[in-house]
Amino acid sequence: MKEKAGVEFVPSIVGFLCNWCTYAAADLAGSSKLELPPSFSVIRVMCSSRIDHNLLLSTFFKGADGILVAGCHPGDCHYGEGNYYARRRFALLKKVMDTVNLDPDRLQLSWVSAAEGKRYAEVVGEFTEKIKELGPNPIKNSTRF
Amino acid sequence: MPQTGNILVIGAGIAGMKASLMLAGASNKVYLVEKLPIIGGKVIKNEESFPNLECSTCMVAPIQQDVLQNPNIETLTYSVVEKIEGSAGDFSVVIRKKARYVSLTDCIGCGMCYEPCPVSLKNEWEENLIDRKAIYVPCSGSLPNVPVIDSEHCLKLLGKEECNLCVESCAFEAINLDDSDEVMEIKVGAVILATGSATIDLSTLPNLGYGTLPGVYAPMEFERLFASNGPTLGEIVLRGSEKIPESIAVIHCAGRKEKKYCSAVCCMYSFKFARFLKHKIPSAHVFNIYSDICVPGKSYQSFYKSVDGADTEMLYTSSIEDVKVSENESGLKVAYPDAAGAMEELNVDMVILAAALVPGDDAAPLAEVAGVDLDSRGFIATVLDGSGSMETSRRGVFVAGTAEGPKDIQNSVIQAESAAGQVMGIVTSGVSGS
Amino acid sequence: MKDFEMRESGQDKKLRAKVGVYVCECGPNIAGKVDLDKILADLSELDDYQDVELVVKKYGFLCSGPGKEFLEEEIKSNGFTHLVVGACSPRDHDSTFMSICEKTDLNPYLYRIINIREHCTWVIDDKEKATEKAFSYIRGGIARVLRQSELFEKPLDINPDVLVIGGGISGMEAALSLSGEDRRVFLVEKTDRLGGVSIDLSGLLPGQGEVVKKKMESVTEDKNIRLFLNTRVETVIGFLGNFEIELVSKENAETTEIMAGAIVVATGSELFEPANSDNYSYSESDEVYTSISIEKMFSGEGEAKLRSGMKPSSVALIHCVGREEKNYCSGICCSYMMKLAGFFKNQSPDIQVTEFYRDLCLPQKDDQERYNEAEADGVTFIRIKDISTKGTDVSFEKMNGEKGEQSFDMVVLAPAMEPSADTEELADLLTVPLDESGFFQEVHKMTNPVGTSTDGVFIVGTAHGPKGVSDSMQFARASAGQILTRLIPGEKLIPEVKVTEILEAYCTGCGNCLDVCVYGAIYSDDSRGISVVNEAVCRGCGNCFGSCPSGALRTKHFTNTQLYREVDEALR
Repeated sequence: MKEKAGVEFVPSIVGFLCNWCTYAAADLAGSSKLELPPSFSVIRVMCSSRIDHNLLLSTFFKGADGILVAGCHPGDCHYGEGNYYARRRFALLKKVMDTVNLDPDRLQLSWVSAAEGKRYAEVVGEFTEKIKELGPNPIKNSTRF
Repeated sequence: MPQTGNILVIGAGIAGMKASLMLAGASNKVYLVEKLPIIGGKVIKNEESFPNLECSTCMVAPIQQDVLQNPNIETLTYSVVEKIEGSAGDFSVVIRKKARYVSLTDCIGCGMCYEPCPVSLKNEWEENLIDRKAIYVPCSGSLPNVPVIDSEHCLKLLGKEECNLCVESCAFEAINLDDSDEVMEIKVGAVILATGSATIDLSTLPNLGYGTLPGVYAPMEFERLFASNGPTLGEIVLRGSEKIPESIAVIHCAGRKEKKYCSAVCCMYSFKFARFLKHKIPSAHVFNIYSDICVPGKSYQSFYKSVDGADTEMLYTSSIEDVKVSENESGLKVAYPDAAGAMEELNVDMVILAAALVPGDDAAPLAEVAGVDLDSRGFIATVLDGSGSMETSRRGVFVAGTAEGPKDIQNSVIQAESAAGQVMGIVTSGVSGS
Repeated sequence: MKDFEMRESGQDKKLRAKVGVYVCECGPNIAGKVDLDKILADLSELDDYQDVELVVKKYGFLCSGPGKEFLEEEIKSNGFTHLVVGACSPRDHDSTFMSICEKTDLNPYLYRIINIREHCTWVIDDKEKATEKAFSYIRGGIARVLRQSELFEKPLDINPDVLVIGGGISGMEAALSLSGEDRRVFLVEKTDRLGGVSIDLSGLLPGQGEVVKKKMESVTEDKNIRLFLNTRVETVIGFLGNFEIELVSKENAETTEIMAGAIVVATGSELFEPANSDNYSYSESDEVYTSISIEKMFSGEGEAKLRSGMKPSSVALIHCVGREEKNYCSGICCSYMMKLAGFFKNQSPDIQVTEFYRDLCLPQKDDQERYNEAEADGVTFIRIKDISTKGTDVSFEKMNGEKGEQSFDMVVLAPAMEPSADTEELADLLTVPLDESGFFQEVHKMTNPVGTSTDGVFIVGTAHGPKGVSDSMQFARASAGQILTRLIPGEKLIPEVKVTEILEAYCTGCGNCLDVCVYGAIYSDDSRGISVVNEAVCRGCGNCFGSCPSGALRTKHFTNTQLYREVDEALR
């Protein structure tokens, strides 16, 4: 998709946050009144391990410029080991993202604990900047790459 | 159907909360009394807890939420117990709910009232490392997220000034400066004391330089320094010089000889500190000065081994009580006798003391109110019948957690659940018994 | 989704849903940061759905007393099929609004709270952008709630009885704490007697020896405890509240089937075999003992004598035997070695007692005092860097590098406590994982040390890890506490509602989901060639979902269809 001249690219970024750690951190960022980009949309799941490849790829096909999945730090998963599985699945997905013409950097997995409100805001802010640099999603609404 | 009863739990730290949740789960009515305006106790002051360095907030927040939302638990923060009369199965308790001046039901925790307050003073919850206002919550992420007004510093409450700035800033009319203490009387079948402990007054150990040398830190001060929701948002900068320390000595057993007991958790948190420091400041040199390493149980030694060498240099001293900290031109000098007894010297920027755990200042008054004996160390004594019972010298009154003596989180939780189990025996049988 | 006729006169449309959309003003926190009237107007004019009626209103503080009453009344009078509340975080008030739904006909899972405060008005300064975002989140919330399904609690009948495996001090304590008129305990012990290791201990705290005897008597006399000596556990199936267990008698191979709601594992531990360490060789002498043998001597005859019948004039007490090899400290040896030192001194005041240790681990209340007393009593304490024994000859190196050699009449070794030999087999039987040291793994080291990932199975005593008698009994009581408060006779258990199900049509029976579930909530149905979720055990984390190659799993309340509604809105 071409950018209109003179119009700043505002990326659409979807964040899948795990209920126990990251969602709490996002709430803390909120109660600390930290500034977050409006283009970032929060979607809550119970555990980062819930996120599967279909959901991620479909979200990219639907036009997400970037996807941030955030869960508890390794060892802190409310359900024991969910985040380890998430980590492995994403590593696998990232390896094949360029086969669908997607820069693997458009998908990020971050660990944020419930006390890290400030860090959550930083992670979201930095990821948004990165996606701005990467530009719009090249495969939005396409079924061929 | 078993009989359920009313139970009083004093102290809303990890032990008090776990005991309350367990009892509430069996449909008992629990009165959870906490002297601070927030629940969570000491564990929430740590960024991470050993042995697996798990985020303490992540670990405790669901427990705090459960406590606050449990219909069978009446949490009374900013409250103290003034009387416990009667006997097991039938205690009469008087609780004073201190005036908060802010309504727990109307306040939604927006925080608009802090900025206008003209009074600033040291925040004791943050170990005096940062200021707070007269209207305040102790920390970011406090639960309940409702402030209190410190009546000893509020200009209006002291009668010094007609200041209404906080009241005016509140869109919910949640602040009421005419609030007053409320005294309530309840009847309970059993009592659990889970009132925690304190750190030794390090100024009583002059050789270690705490209080006189700004680079010497008490353990709780360092916990707050490292905390991501703390006074420096987790940045390690030295008090006074504002420098980032390049060399740090953690000195074990501060106060062990004086108190005549080992505080059980200090070695582990000393290693935790070393891990924190090395990861935060990778170029730093961290030293652990020790005589004995106390890492009991299946999970602790492996943590110690992972820190030894990788994060810290372990320096053995033949006599930990003879360690001296003093000032020199470059910063701090730590002098200690080596294995042969010869004095060694170490130059560092920062010293952290692993300090003895002692009964809190309110332990003795509480023991009087509760009518229970203290042991020789000043902690609440249990009846020593060889069965590990958590009952105190007064039937129907139990103790759990560090109020009974220094211990880690695991043992505090075990004692809390164990005491709760014993309490279930009383309330279901309707008679006192163990 | 229910069909119902719109009741307004003149209208003939058939609606599939009527959604109440309530936006909380939250004072200046929401109303002051967005153009609330614009949001309400835009929501009212939504033409996303031809057959869904939206009722859009705002209210001051929905979580207040009057607010909750208002909402309840609105739901009842409007007959909403779905409810959306634009307000704060679900972590604040999800349960508040669910409780309101429960008072009406509206299924609480057809409601949704949208976080437009912590995630919107509090973090977006620009009023226009915040207004857009709040509108967007609520719009997405409506789309999602319309895809949600009714979910119902499924209360389970439970059996309050308990199986305790192991008749040592921990098992006995658990059994006695649990047994009652309305709760039987089945206490299964593999040997022919109760008491385990504690029978041989010569007492630490006043009255401790008596405590063990009393517990044994109490257990035997308790008519609510059914004791099975010389018995093994053969099979265990089921879950919290509903276990089916098969016991086998070692005497006559007879099987007994019992039902229980919970299982307490109190199978104890063993002592590390010093011969497995390179440092201790005792073929050279008969007078090398492990601490438990000395305990037996003191608790039995009251004296510890050499094989010759003489009392030793010198004894070496060696701590930390196996500590390096096992990589953990057993925590009680320093304590009991000092106790034994005291007993030796009592029996022979002139005896030379030397304790060799790597670290003094004295975390218990009276440990330090006992150490001071031992020192004052003339016990020699030597901290060593290295040590080895050949029979009763001890070679050691002190911290300052000094090497020494000493011969003693008797050498006592304090070996590490290690998992008992049948731990692995039992772990398999109960599907409880083992930790790195081979002990049963607790579900959370700090906040739940007696629970395991198989809910309903508890671990106590030294089966959990090295510890002393008092701590063991506390663990036992803690597990009893959990069982007493969760399995209440006559009451049902309510498992997690937002669980996962497997769609038979898509499942190939590959078992990937089974492998990743830490709760053991998925089992294989061989007759149908598929995997099945036990909804009584499932916690709803969704890890299985991520592992399924066939798309056969459906995480109720977090289906992809539902999540895509939120995604679509985010990317509009």
